[in-house]
Formats: sequence, structure tokens, C-alpha cells
Amino acid sequence: MRRFEGTSDGRVEAQLDPDEVTLLQSLAGQVAELVAGISTSSTSVDGSTNSDAAVARLLPDAYPDDAEASSEFRRFTQSGLADRKVANAETVIRSLGRADITGSVALDEPETLSWLRCLTDIRLTIASRLGIETEDDEAGRTIDPLMRELYDWLGFVQNSLIEAVDDRSTDG
Amino acid sequence: MPQTMDRTDARSTAALESPWVTLVWNDPVNLMSYVSYVFRSYFGYPPVESERLMLQVHLDGKAVVATGSREEMERHVEAMHDYGLWATLSKADA
Repeated sequence: MRRFEGTSDGRVEAQLDPDEVTLLQSLAGQVAELVAGISTSSTSVDGSTNSDAAVARLLPDAYPDDAEASSEFRRFTQSGLADRKVANAETVIRSLGRADITGSVALDEPETLSWLRCLTDIRLTIASRLGIETEDDEAGRTIDPLMRELYDWLGFVQNSLIEAVDDRSTDG
Repeated sequence: MPQTMDRTDARSTAALESPWVTLVWNDPVNLMSYVSYVFRSYFGYPPVESERLMLQVHLDGKAVVATGSREEMERHVEAMHDYGLWATLSKADA
């Protein structure tokens, strides 16, 4: 992948290998699948904390010391949050589908926002599955090197996107 | 000094009317650049203030990023969850 950079028409653009396109589409699809079930699940109805650790991190308790208020908050916000996370993932998948023969993908502003949020959701989900819970964990734990590489690469993609957005807002 | 008194009064009045805060908590996943970007783009904080709040989250484990009514803070917390930041709300004096 070549990092994101601003284009003359105000978008941000990166070049990805075909396998990187497929990988990102697959990861976005998996996160969409994970959260898609939430808006219709029982936790939306009764407001209880989500039992899946990754979902619990994506949709955390709003009131740290008040289970009842947290559950009320969840009843009102959870399906909307889940729907928007699914929509972000769909935007990522769709924009990657536009990659041309050189692997170039250009994103407008709403797409960029969806990418930043979806990359966060993907990284949070992977971290949860890997058991990364504190910064010490991250340093000390033996993590499957392939997963480690993937996790770090996603961080690189996201950071490069943020830098491109920052450059654009400084220039503009 | 009268000026100082005025400021103190304004602050305590605001505290009485706005007893809730939005807290953002540190997590080992979110990039420092991303957290700072969220504070800038969502709350509209200037770059220096966003950086200061981001570092407070990173070093102290949490930071108050907004103060106001409970309804406002619930909207902020929901927005932070949209961004994937770990946010909660509490009474300001808690």
C-alpha cells in the first residue's frame, strides 16, 4: 500500500494491492456482521450489557456506576449506533470496490469519516479477540505474529488517513 | 478584584446548571493522532487544546472533554461511541 495523500480536488487517495483491498473488505464485512445482529438482538430490547467482549467494547456502558441508566441509554442508542457502524463498513467495502487497475482509491469527506470509524471498529474488535486490554498487555503478551502484523498495518492505514486529512485541513 | 469575582461567579452558576460531564477513557487501541482528531473535529477544540486533552487521556487514564446538561452529555457519549472512543458520563461532582 502507498499511504494516503491529498488530491487536487480535495479528496484523499491511497494505492492498495488487490489482496489488501480484499482483506479490508473482508474485515469490514466481518465487523458489519458482528454488529448487524445487535439492533435486533435481545440486548437492544432489555438493555443488558453485551456478552460478546468485542461488542461490549464497541458499545460500552455509558454510566460506569449505574447499570440501570446504562441499560436505558443502550435501549435508546444501541440500534442506531449499530446501524451507523454497519453503514460505515458498507461505505468502506463500496469505496474499495472502485479501486482502479493501479489499485488507487480516492475518498471524499463523508467516506473518509466512515473509513476512520470503521478502521477503529476493526482494530477494537481484533484487539478484543487478541486479549489486548491494557498497554502493558500489548507490550508483554505473545501475540500471533501474523495477527500482530495485521493489527499494526491497520494502525498504519488509519494513521496515514488521519495525516492526509490533517494536511488537507491545514492547506485549506 | 472584581474581574476575578465575576469569573468565579460565572463558573459556579454554570456548575449548578450543568452538573454532568463527558469523560473519555484511555484504551490501548486508539491512536493518539485519532483521539486528537476526534476532539478537534467533533468538539471543535483548537489543535493545542485537543492535544492537551488527548495527552491527559493517555497519561491520566481519562479526561473531562465536555460539561453540560445530562441530555447534552448523552449526545456527546453517543457521538464518541460512533467514533469508537470509550466515553461515559457522570455527575460533575461525582
